[in-house]
Amino acid sequence: MKRILSIITILFLGFLASTTTYAQDRFPRPDFESGYQYPATHYAIPNETLWLFVDVFLLVLMMGIVAWAVIRKRTRKPVFWVSVISVAYFGFFRSGCVCSIGSVQNVALALADKSYTIPLAALLFFILPILFTFLFGRVFCAGVCPMGALQELVNVKNYRIPRSVSAVLGIFPWIYLFLAILYAITRTGFIICRFDPFIGIFRLSGDIGLLIFGALLLLVAVFTGRPFCRFMCPYGALLNLFSRVSIWRAKITPSCINCELCHKACPVDAIRAPYNNKVKESRVQGVKRVLLYTIFLPVMVTVAALMMRSMSDSISRANNDVRLYDMVQGEATPKDHPVPELESFYGAGGTVVELKERVDVILADFKLYATFAGGLIGLVIGLTLLGLSVKRSRKSYEMDDAQCVNCARCFSYCPQNKIIENKIQ
Amino acid sequence: MRKAIFRNVAVVSAIFVASFAIMLITNYFQVRSFNPLQADVMETLKKINDENANNVALQEQIRQLDLMARRAYFVNLDHLKTGIYLLLAMLGVLIVCLRFYFAGEKDIPGKQIDVVDDWIIKTHARKYVGWFASALVAVALVFVFVTASHLRGTDAPNTPSTDIGQIAAVGDESTAQGESNVNQANQTRQGEENTVQGNSDDNATQSLTTIDNASDISSGFRGNNSNAISSAKNIPDVWDLKTGKNIAWKSAIPKHGFNSPVVSGNKVFLTGADESAREIYCYDLRTGKLLWTLAATNIPGSPQVMPKTTDDTGLASSTAATNGKQVCAIFATGDLLCADMDGKRLWAKNLGVPDNHYGYASSLLAFGNSLIVQYDNTNAHKVVALDMATGNEVWSKTRTDKITWSSPTLVFANNRAQLILMGNPAITAYNPANGEQYWRVDGLSGEVASSPCGAGGLVFGASEYAALIAVDATSGKKLWTANNYLPEISSPVATNENVYLGTTYGVLACYDAKTGALKHSHELETEFYSSPMIVEGRLYVFSNDGKMHIYTADSEFTLINSFETGAKTFATPAFIDGKIVVRSEEGLYCVATKK
Repeated sequence: MKRILSIITILFLGFLASTTTYAQDRFPRPDFESGYQYPATHYAIPNETLWLFVDVFLLVLMMGIVAWAVIRKRTRKPVFWVSVISVAYFGFFRSGCVCSIGSVQNVALALADKSYTIPLAALLFFILPILFTFLFGRVFCAGVCPMGALQELVNVKNYRIPRSVSAVLGIFPWIYLFLAILYAITRTGFIICRFDPFIGIFRLSGDIGLLIFGALLLLVAVFTGRPFCRFMCPYGALLNLFSRVSIWRAKITPSCINCELCHKACPVDAIRAPYNNKVKESRVQGVKRVLLYTIFLPVMVTVAALMMRSMSDSISRANNDVRLYDMVQGEATPKDHPVPELESFYGAGGTVVELKERVDVILADFKLYATFAGGLIGLVIGLTLLGLSVKRSRKSYEMDDAQCVNCARCFSYCPQNKIIENKIQ
Repeated sequence: MRKAIFRNVAVVSAIFVASFAIMLITNYFQVRSFNPLQADVMETLKKINDENANNVALQEQIRQLDLMARRAYFVNLDHLKTGIYLLLAMLGVLIVCLRFYFAGEKDIPGKQIDVVDDWIIKTHARKYVGWFASALVAVALVFVFVTASHLRGTDAPNTPSTDIGQIAAVGDESTAQGESNVNQANQTRQGEENTVQGNSDDNATQSLTTIDNASDISSGFRGNNSNAISSAKNIPDVWDLKTGKNIAWKSAIPKHGFNSPVVSGNKVFLTGADESAREIYCYDLRTGKLLWTLAATNIPGSPQVMPKTTDDTGLASSTAATNGKQVCAIFATGDLLCADMDGKRLWAKNLGVPDNHYGYASSLLAFGNSLIVQYDNTNAHKVVALDMATGNEVWSKTRTDKITWSSPTLVFANNRAQLILMGNPAITAYNPANGEQYWRVDGLSGEVASSPCGAGGLVFGASEYAALIAVDATSGKKLWTANNYLPEISSPVATNENVYLGTTYGVLACYDAKTGALKHSHELETEFYSSPMIVEGRLYVFSNDGKMHIYTADSEFTLINSFETGAKTFATPAFIDGKIVVRSEEGLYCVATKK
């Protein structure tokens, strides 16, 4: 298995190295007076409809395979191959688009803006993984998501991050999610797509900064399981919720002998060791803390909402119109070398009055939605604190359903599972 | 032994990856901060070139430097990209070596760094989350504080005097666009212009956004953007040359021409030509006094013998264009001439003598600092954009259309400016900034002389004996065609609801903009060469006999006033606040309501 994995990895890297880069840089072309005619730029329009059907079909098929392998067969091999296919197809072949992670923004925009028609593929890519998660846990994350799959494939060692630290880092996906929705519904941009760290690797092109970031993230993924999935992925945050209430889900081998192998093997630290609740503080103190956080929760929500509201003007500057308006406002005198944005704005027939009207609407939207986003961030922090204040005892190893990405690595380590596998065979 | 090899390779590749990553990141920020086109040397040389436009050696030096700067930049970029792929490749080597090194170690010993007590972990986590929340608040506060100083003022800029209500009444996107171009041209107008304007000296010191007279320019044929919609207000609705009613002044024009006047600030520009000379004229808008004349002379490539033109076209049919800083004019000889607002010649060139059986007649269009020239003749088919200050080519596009006489129009649709060109057989939309073609719709034929117009995201174009075509400017799809009444020389104008046009056989027609259904037609037993203009929700159009017809620019299309002005008129008047500047067969005159 390890050998096959290595060969696959080498093949991927060979593919990476042999592919040409198609990046384009845009500068004003030099002035010519020689009569040189620039060749017209042609863009080939691909037959997308067929591929979108294939995309959706493969998405469902692969999630089905993972669900079958993890829940029914309790085996990792099919998950591994799904990961390979996903990286090859959804990643390199389809260039990482459409992706479920980015589809969050399409859905948010469609809900906020009736004039926006969400592409069917984006809608399906958003709904289907959630539906499967609700039924079978995070089977999408297991290996169907090309980003998760890529990290999974490069992971060699599994150095753990202290759980107390990962509890804090686990808040980031939520913040990212709320900001992504905020920027999407204010039509500022799809930041998830824009700052996708792996898209550059899949496309072998794009922003150099993001390419470097992607490479570094992969380097981290070699030594610790799925850093992007755990501490950045906004869609993972959503699936985390649905996974908690999934109907059928991966479970620790029933005849667990508490050997600890699964716990050590889990790349996302989603297996909780048995714990005898040795209470080191009085029960009253614990209850007081929970009560305090419960009372404090609305305060945190309000404070965070107000903070974000007060920041709305600042964060709205990511919006092109708002930034343009700032530039117009800051332009005291016509310059010898005018800013291209302003030149384009005036040249395109823009008026300051119109721009101001647009900006006013955008700012009002930012104020409203940033307040909601802030409130939700406060809620996530508050609920995290509450969750960390509850004492629970465990008699045996348990899966943390929210964190488990159904990679099935634990099954391949479990000696008891081998017996079950043999029985099934 | 084998394991040791993998370990050693892994260690080497890990060191390589780490050090290479640091170098790449450093290099990335260096490359990012460098703009090859804004190097100090280049800027200085360009400035020197602006002051001395004829220094060929200097221009060549600038070109070479520009080439070198671009080459260096892209080589850097290529190195960076190669470095990234090298990094990824070494990362692959590292992964493979690690895999082989750990092969066989099924039970990877996960380093247990957490304390066993779950409660202690949670206690720590609570503490960290608390710190994190506090840090978040602190970062937010710093962010607000730092960015606050850069934030925009809360007050709206002084609204230009353009009547926004009027724009809304017309309901036309293009009207707003027209206004904006006015704004832009106003903004680019510098102190020199303001010193001439008695009442606008303060403008020079005002912010661009607070110049308050946004409708004192009519930058080209059929006003700003050549879209036949003006944002001027307080326009007189009656005048008479014979009695002098509402006539501010009258002036003779030295040489003949069918082109229309354009206005910027207190200056009126138009052109005239005959066998002996081709000239640009500048008049004082307040007095009608001829301020300066600039002849198109000593232009390399200019023909010694004038090309043949018909009497109803002549050598000066093309209307000039101005952006408030420069004024440019083109003649049937192919001579293109640009001057500053004081009549100082900036540059001139011959675009090639047009082979045109009536005579070249397409008007110029100002787009920011670019001058758009539609040059569809029998021997040349192209559209070019030139820098109005220097004459340098910004972009050029070869066209496949046959000879046409219509003029370019700017339409704002799909959140972008679109340069619309009529042609035979197609209407084509381009990106005015770089000439990229947006869309192209066939359907025109014959001799295309009428110019296009746009409103509400639609573009309309018509040619006699073909059709009036409506195109969705977003998708570039033809929406409908109509052929009840079609213009020959006069151009249509549109609002969101209606399209209006005047025919050579004297019919004023109103079509539904959405469906193409004919709503109204008025048979006036005259001829229309001049194009209708929409101002303050009213449609103004001259018939050739010099009669002014004013209609409501709505679905009723009812006559408001119709009167003899006293002189035959073929040109399209320029509308600016409170005034109309008309070129008649007898000369130039200005209409203004007398107080």
